[in-house]
Amino acid sequence: MRTVDGAMVMGTIWAAVSLVGCAVGMSTTGSDDGSGSVEVGMGSGGGPSRGRQALDRDRVPAVGQPGSMSMPEAQDYTLDNGLRVVLVRRSALPLVSLAFQFRGGASGHPASQAGLAALAADMIDEGTTRRSALEVAEAVDRIGATLTSVAGYDVSAVRMTTLRSHLREALDVAADVIMNPTFPPTELERVRAERIARVIQRGDQPAALADDAFARALYGDAHPYGAPLLGTRESLSALTADDVRGYHAARYAPGQATLVAVGDVEREALDSLLAEKFAGWSGPGEDPPPLPDAHASGGGRTIYVVDRPGAAQSEIRVGRVARAWDTQGYHEVQVTNTILGGAFTSRLNMKLREEKGYTYGAYSYFDQRRGRGPFEAGAAVATSVTDSAVADFMTEIGRIAAEPVPQDELIRARNYLARRLPQRFESVDDVGARLAELVAFDAPLDFYVTYVDSVLAVGADRVRATGRAELVADDMLIVIAGDRSLIEDPLRALGVGPVEILGRGPSS
Amino acid sequence: MSDLSIPFERHRLGNGLRIILSHDSSVPVVAVNLWYGVGSRNEPQGRTGFAHLFEHMMFQGSAHVPKNRHFELVERAGGTLNATTWFDRTNYFESLPSNQLELALWLESDRMGWMLPAMDQEKLDNQRDVVKNEKRQRYDNQPYGDWDERLQALVFPEAHPYHHTVIGSMEDLDAATLDDVEAFFRTYYVPNNAVLTVAGDFERSRTLDAIDAYFGEIPAGRPIPPVPGDPTLPPRIGETVRDRVVADVPLPRVILASRIPPYSSPEFAVAEVARGVLGTGRASRLYRRLVRERKVAKDVVSYAFPLLTGASMLLVWATGYEDTRAEDLERAVALELEGLSDAEDAEIARAIAVTETDLVRSLERVGERADLLSMFELYFDDPGRLNRELDRLRAVTSGDVRRFAAERLGPDNRAVLTYVPEAQR
Repeated sequence: MRTVDGAMVMGTIWAAVSLVGCAVGMSTTGSDDGSGSVEVGMGSGGGPSRGRQALDRDRVPAVGQPGSMSMPEAQDYTLDNGLRVVLVRRSALPLVSLAFQFRGGASGHPASQAGLAALAADMIDEGTTRRSALEVAEAVDRIGATLTSVAGYDVSAVRMTTLRSHLREALDVAADVIMNPTFPPTELERVRAERIARVIQRGDQPAALADDAFARALYGDAHPYGAPLLGTRESLSALTADDVRGYHAARYAPGQATLVAVGDVEREALDSLLAEKFAGWSGPGEDPPPLPDAHASGGGRTIYVVDRPGAAQSEIRVGRVARAWDTQGYHEVQVTNTILGGAFTSRLNMKLREEKGYTYGAYSYFDQRRGRGPFEAGAAVATSVTDSAVADFMTEIGRIAAEPVPQDELIRARNYLARRLPQRFESVDDVGARLAELVAFDAPLDFYVTYVDSVLAVGADRVRATGRAELVADDMLIVIAGDRSLIEDPLRALGVGPVEILGRGPSS
Repeated sequence: MSDLSIPFERHRLGNGLRIILSHDSSVPVVAVNLWYGVGSRNEPQGRTGFAHLFEHMMFQGSAHVPKNRHFELVERAGGTLNATTWFDRTNYFESLPSNQLELALWLESDRMGWMLPAMDQEKLDNQRDVVKNEKRQRYDNQPYGDWDERLQALVFPEAHPYHHTVIGSMEDLDAATLDDVEAFFRTYYVPNNAVLTVAGDFERSRTLDAIDAYFGEIPAGRPIPPVPGDPTLPPRIGETVRDRVVADVPLPRVILASRIPPYSSPEFAVAEVARGVLGTGRASRLYRRLVRERKVAKDVVSYAFPLLTGASMLLVWATGYEDTRAEDLERAVALELEGLSDAEDAEIARAIAVTETDLVRSLERVGERADLLSMFELYFDDPGRLNRELDRLRAVTSGDVRRFAAERLGPDNRAVLTYVPEAQR
């Protein structure tokens, strides 16, 4: 649901895009290797004795000792019914974050059933053997908890965050929706209609049009990553209650599940509540089918134009199929992307926004998944500079492989990732999200213990090698949702690659 | 029930800068947060959008900090940063590893004290282009993207400072000059119009000394001039006012808004609870009746704007299906607004319980903590209000909500903005 909050009517300095990779981690006090950076000099000290006169404003303040933060140890164990539990104790506030994560997501059903995982996730709290849909919602609200049920490309999740004092009631509701959904026909038809209406709305949103066309052009119809998670009008219309029931039976089984619990709760108390509330929950479920092959390629620089007559801007996406999640190679991918487009001061944003004023913000990210996820760069740019912006994207993407990264820039990117770590572990939900990502990728839970050292060890050679392997400028796919009548000719004249017109969005 | 006890202490420098410190060392992160008492309400005629454009200029360097350096230094330190402009205020904030606190104090003090020497036409032109692209991306190129412009114009009269939007108009953005930047800076970006909050992991006396060293020598400005235009207005609109838009949208949407007492009024808590009963969560009245039972809407939203100047606004919106008639949608929403006159205690308890967890969760982040403390200090001279927020809501009764509905949510105090798809015309 789109919400109105201040942000909707607020101006901001930049859209703080949450696009920087998908998992980042932990441990810290990584030593600063900023010695190569002249401006982080050893200053005049920041002690209390310094008077106002001594202040030298030309000098960047000295940095004190980094604070230490040790990762609270995760308890990792499996219950008799096959449910894996990952528990982290944290008691700063009386909160508990619970995430039941299930293998599969949209990869757990055929690509032709686009939207099934998300529909099933949406339906599990629409009525159970014990509660009507309204009673589920009331039970959650009464204790002031939140319940969200979502599906991604690789996993689905049921998440609840609750005050510690209401943990028992929260688990009662969680168990009910996970174990006992009945998928009542009237609720299914309503939810289906809502989701089809959302598909129709996406067809009217330039950014969504560009995203959907980009995924489809990269992965095609036969791969689960090619269709929107929401599904299409056709696929949603064809799904049946039996499809939803079958998906639920295969995926929402303890043998496919991990509970990530973070907060003010002891193992003993949690286990006893789980035994009580999830009594009778059993079964291995079905392992998700293997993903079809996706070639590590883009599209030979083909430019696809989704025509939006009268559009106020052009939504640009540039990218290709990149590597799957890879614990060993994770850090070099993130450092490389931070140099290119993962932070405000990355090359793409500095060029397209701060130098040229073409856009409110330009970004890039590697969407690392269990299978080969996409690399994507993008921006919404003024229509009149669409061709120039595409040229800048191609130049900056290609430059990573073509030139060694200057040492100072490399240090900035590494420090940004390494030092930001504590912020990514501020809340119980943050800690839960980091661990759930590791679980989704079968990565070791001590990933964050060595994170800082691993980031700081990425050298310029690894950045360039990552560029050569993943940022192949001659093999990018480009999608632009914009006003064809104004951008087609300049794009053809640009000579980057062939231009194909896709027509208006799929749903109109 | 959880009772909040966020610690804080208050200080004030000789130049009028208000300081809040709130210590918590559970994570080695520190937040630096500045609220300036200036927003779109302070914009002179012909300069809509300027407060926000100015906010962008604050990142373009200052006397001792070259262009781009501000962002570079914070990101290199592992920090995150942003700023936002709203009707009554503008805020700037960083969260950093705790050993980098002084970096943020240096950067914030340099632009508070020494921004103007770094300004030039090229930077203004560049950020004007960026802001115009922000407007295109977030408003002009979005379905229903002009809703706030149309709604504000309906609810607030032309002379009122909330009549125009924060993002402003392209024409006014084009008209902005470096002289405007200078005048705005000298008038509003002064220590006596700002609150600085430091929250999280820091050492108290050292931090106080550093704040004094960095900010203490910035001279106080003149008293802040009154808000331009006429902020006084009748408590009710007086009738139902309408704007019907035939638009290139696939689904109809109606937005109903009412004028309500400002955030500073005790009655605002009633408005917050009322809007929770109406539209927060899937057990709320609007979701239950419009989405679940009658199926005339695919989504519903409610919001009470926390605005200070003369009056504020409560809105409810509902998006229909392709075959929903906008008139039916409007009637259904109006029925729920007026139906609040039978609000019950259990619904009120539900709305407050949801708000409670939301607040506790948001306080986990030191950046959020700092932001709320700054707001309560700037708006109400009372940061301790953070710890009493829930009491304020818990004091609201069903009788209060019923009275509020009868007095504020009727057809004599209603703006109706309707988007009709071209296909339905």
